[in-house]
Amino acid sequence: MSEEAVDVLIIGAGASGAALAWSLADTRMNILCMEQGDWMDPAKYPGMSNDWEARQLGDFGLSPNTRGRREDYPVNDSGSPIAVSMFNAVGGSTILYAAHFPRFHPGDFKVKTLDGVADDWPIDYDLLAPYYNANARMMGVSGLAGDPAYPAKEVPLPPVTLGKVGETLARGFNRLGWHWWPSDSAITTQEYEGRAPCINAGTCLLGCGQGAKASTDITYWPEAVRRGVRVKTRCRVREITVRENGMADGVIYYDADGVERKQKAEVVVLACNGIGTPRLLLNSRSKQFPDGLANRSGLVGKNLMFHPYAMVTGVFDEPLDSYKGPTGCCIMSQEFYETDRSRGFVRGYSFEILRGFGPVSTALWGMQQGRMPWGADHHRAHSELFNHTAGMVVICEDLPEPGNSVTLDPELVDSDGIPAPKINYRLSDNSSKMLEHSVARAREVLVASGANDTIAEAPLPFAGWHLMGTARMGADPNTSVVNEWGRCHDVKNLFVIDGSVFVTSAAVNPTNTIQALALYVGDRMKKNLANLFD
Amino acid sequence: MSEENFERPFSADELRTLTSVLDEIIPPSVERNLPGAGEAGVAAYVDAALRKAVELRPVIVQGLADLEAQARSRFGQSFAALSKTEKGALLNEQGFIFPLMLHAYIGYYQNERVVSALGLPLRPPHPQGYEMERSDLSLLDVVRRRPKMFRTLPE
Repeated sequence: MSEEAVDVLIIGAGASGAALAWSLADTRMNILCMEQGDWMDPAKYPGMSNDWEARQLGDFGLSPNTRGRREDYPVNDSGSPIAVSMFNAVGGSTILYAAHFPRFHPGDFKVKTLDGVADDWPIDYDLLAPYYNANARMMGVSGLAGDPAYPAKEVPLPPVTLGKVGETLARGFNRLGWHWWPSDSAITTQEYEGRAPCINAGTCLLGCGQGAKASTDITYWPEAVRRGVRVKTRCRVREITVRENGMADGVIYYDADGVERKQKAEVVVLACNGIGTPRLLLNSRSKQFPDGLANRSGLVGKNLMFHPYAMVTGVFDEPLDSYKGPTGCCIMSQEFYETDRSRGFVRGYSFEILRGFGPVSTALWGMQQGRMPWGADHHRAHSELFNHTAGMVVICEDLPEPGNSVTLDPELVDSDGIPAPKINYRLSDNSSKMLEHSVARAREVLVASGANDTIAEAPLPFAGWHLMGTARMGADPNTSVVNEWGRCHDVKNLFVIDGSVFVTSAAVNPTNTIQALALYVGDRMKKNLANLFD
Repeated sequence: MSEENFERPFSADELRTLTSVLDEIIPPSVERNLPGAGEAGVAAYVDAALRKAVELRPVIVQGLADLEAQARSRFGQSFAALSKTEKGALLNEQGFIFPLMLHAYIGYYQNERVVSALGLPLRPPHPQGYEMERSDLSLLDVVRRRPKMFRTLPE
């Protein structure tokens, strides 16, 4: 059964799909977004109930493999030291992200020129800057102007409260003479565009019932829908279909009842991020594209980049009120961001300061670290850690490597029978050396901040939050999947606008850049509407 | 394993053993005004949690039965009636203690008596949230004086 053809079909209602839908809405085209998840009900987020911490191990866990939600698809990540984290809903993974919202630096787009590794992007910082600004206004970004680590930039709202944790660490950075700055966060710190300000509840990773954290279901989507874009939830796309001439002509999908349906479209846009997008392309095989759609370069699914993370936690004598405040965004440091070859690796990393844990998470994390015994010593152990920890994650730039990949699993399928993605990933030598360096520096700054003990985990096994590089952009069809504005080289009415198009990963959270790119692609599509497929 | 129905609620005997085990995992602390996990009623939480953990539940049920049997064969009494030392010695030999600890810790640290004793408000984080003091941004003065740190590209 086929339905009315649409002008633009966007697959995925997360960070990038929402931004593009909003951007294209003023064209008055017939735009439809298909999302396999549903609209979330913020009144039902875990932060509203006393068992909120435990739900991080249950229906609001990071891994789609353990949540048991029908909306998710399984990911075979047994071949990777870093497990994949993602969420399927209107809003996508912005429902669960920490809303850390740094930009890339100008140099992050040109690592080949600067450091002789990986590749340069076909676009640059100056081109994206106006879209970063537009995105900051739409998402409601807080931060502070004047950071010496960045060119001047627009930040609409004042920074997230540092709290005792942020100030304690800031003093440590100052003692060492190292850079730090209040983080850019997609968290409203004042009333903003109908959104209430952050109340320091500390439940960012479980959805924000306050609506202060910018997930796209409360930022871009309401505006896009008001302007006529339609969102169809519980639609799981199996494959993109092609005409005889090799152009995309729509999709085959399963509706909420598991019934197979077709949707025709003039333009198809993939917004499923670095694992969902290559999965769908690889599952869209035809006689024109026997190795997967838009894959004549053979690069669909290759060059998967995570950001290898470390988590380094300090234990302090004094209480830090560390369960208060947004989870991840008080301050960050880019002291070790740029390449210094004397360190034994190229490129660099950021430190992002974290709050401490709630009482349940303290107990479970302590148990994992072998520091939370049962028996007579239990209370001493818990009281030493609860409200007495603060620390950081390290986010390392991951360089693209063809062997790190997304393929289709030969056996594992989702609840509609669509092949699941399979991850092959190994930490590069460069990443391992970078992690080692970063952990040593993190311990140093924690001790300088007054920590009496430090605990490090590297690589952080559950931190596959950032999914990039698997349909990279470039000018040459032999070495890239999409051109410099997201259009597939091989299929001129098929676009990719998510983290898959990243050429390199920088050492910051990618969402702001993903959305700035989506807005840029939207603008280019609007400018080229008359000859979009030339 | 037998064809026993592991989805049934714990029996009174099993609950008594479980409560006693929980009080060993997290004993009371008079000094900190904290109850033991058994005394705080965490057994009811564990029972409910294990109904969703279908693979673990039989392990715990069997583990509790074995523990009782060992208490009686080695010490001639039920586990609950043993001395602290005897309980500790037996528990140290049980494989089920680690998976049980996970649920015991979750149940304990979201228990109202425990949350109060830790000095936290008896409510979820939303919708009230927490007050925080204003930031001291003068800490940034030294950072503001730094020259630009990002690299510019060759023309």
